[in-house]
Amino acid sequence: MRDIASMIRTDAVHRDVYTAPEVFALEMDRIFDTTWVYLAHTSEIKQANDYKTTYLGRHPVVVVRLEDGSITALINRCRHRGPTLCQQDTGNSRFFRCPYHAWTYENNGKLIGVPLPQGYGKTFRREEHGLVPVPRVAVYQGFIFGCMKPAGPTLEEHLGGTKRYLDAYCAVSPTGEIDVFRGMQKCVYNGNWKYQLENGVDPYHVGALHQSAVTPEAMKIYKQGRGNVLAVDGHGVTDHTDWGPMPVDGGLSGGFNLVLFPNLIVLRSQIRTVRPIAVDRTEIYTNVVRLAGVDEEVNIRRMRDQEFEFGAAGTFYTDDLEIFERTQEGLKSSAVEWIVFARGLEREQIINGYVAGAMSDETQHRGMYQHWKELMTAASAETAVAAE
Amino acid sequence: MMIDQDTIEQFVYREARLLDKQMFEPWLDLFLEDAIYWVPAGHDDIDPRTHVSVMFDDKAALTKRVGRLRSGFAYAQEPASRIHRLVTNVVIDPPSDDESLQVSTMMLLVELSRHRQNIHSAHCEFSLVRSGDAWKIRRKKINLLRNNEVLESTPFLL
Repeated sequence: MRDIASMIRTDAVHRDVYTAPEVFALEMDRIFDTTWVYLAHTSEIKQANDYKTTYLGRHPVVVVRLEDGSITALINRCRHRGPTLCQQDTGNSRFFRCPYHAWTYENNGKLIGVPLPQGYGKTFRREEHGLVPVPRVAVYQGFIFGCMKPAGPTLEEHLGGTKRYLDAYCAVSPTGEIDVFRGMQKCVYNGNWKYQLENGVDPYHVGALHQSAVTPEAMKIYKQGRGNVLAVDGHGVTDHTDWGPMPVDGGLSGGFNLVLFPNLIVLRSQIRTVRPIAVDRTEIYTNVVRLAGVDEEVNIRRMRDQEFEFGAAGTFYTDDLEIFERTQEGLKSSAVEWIVFARGLEREQIINGYVAGAMSDETQHRGMYQHWKELMTAASAETAVAAE
Repeated sequence: MMIDQDTIEQFVYREARLLDKQMFEPWLDLFLEDAIYWVPAGHDDIDPRTHVSVMFDDKAALTKRVGRLRSGFAYAQEPASRIHRLVTNVVIDPPSDDESLQVSTMMLLVELSRHRQNIHSAHCEFSLVRSGDAWKIRRKKINLLRNNEVLESTPFLL
């Protein structure tokens, strides 16, 4: 495997970034175990003692609304012999009990029950065997994130200039509040997780790949619009508010797409979560967003459009999934080493303090890969300092 | 009039065969104008107004899906998957009468796409309505065995 830093050029990304199992293992350590990862929306755990199971990188976690309204996230793994505790996607419980030997925990992680405790002798202390919490959990505009690193940038520092997009996304609701419909659309593809991040902010492909799904009216956004793509603090944005604000009906018109590195995509009516499984396998979980304070028929329309266009059977999304799998196949060839991200390099400008390109450019991708490179090389830099 | 099991079996077999053979236009003709085609997500008995589905199409949406598949630009189906739909366990359920029927079937759908074989097992529920001397579909609900699992791309009609 080549040196990590050399895999990212200004205008191109090396194929190893998508195909090398060693790179994937490092990504789990250096990206998913160090930065803020999206876990859940607060509306999925509205009531006291509600929980949702999900993954933070390789870690199975359960996100819990505690009795006092606060939110915690625990590693979903019994401290005794290791089985996962919660099996349901969502539920409501004050306790989690492992069925194997009946170790029992409060939903804040505290170990409260161990059968036949005398067998552990006098040195055993229950308080040392609680469920392991995700070191940091923070919420912005209802979006819950977890971070495996106890110190480092705060969530708000991590979000940086994307906060105003999350603000604007919620402001589409007349009350400023959003929630999600029950359930998720769940998909899987045989391809690298980063194809989905690129694709979530990639106006260039819409007119080509999605020509069978986009209406002629919506196609004008891409052919005549004067929107921008932006690299915002390592995250990606496509901003087509020139065509109108984020629409209440969730249609393809104005607004923006936001990709929060490394695993969250917010666009139209959806919150899409990316779960890397292996270097060549990725799962996608999508929630549909309801707007508080609008006619419920409008919300239903948002959901029906989402179901028609996205998810495993979507008229847009099936073509995306097809391309992700074809890309993984194409990149098997070592005869071509580089993936090209050079569009718009010579016409970048600064908008609101961020590097921006024209609607079909790849500035946002370049920004995400610089972020990737920083995270992937930061740990080795720390090791190098420690070795001195 | 007796409800004829054989007639109903021939109806659901034909419905499956039209899809296997990609005869989408006569397949669409089996549906009433106000028909619903529904694939729940999560589990079989969700409320589609409060819970997201895999698909929830009215006939206009179904017609658009067919138009897309016919466009030559639906890359997820270029080339089209080869599909065998095996339909069995055909049961006429109450409430059924001369004018409307509730029909339950089991379907095993085997898809070959890009050298990979995908299998979907589903319990299908049809609401049929008499139209002259034929039957039309008011609702087709497809309860996938895997409706709470991650699904690979499913760009065809179930």
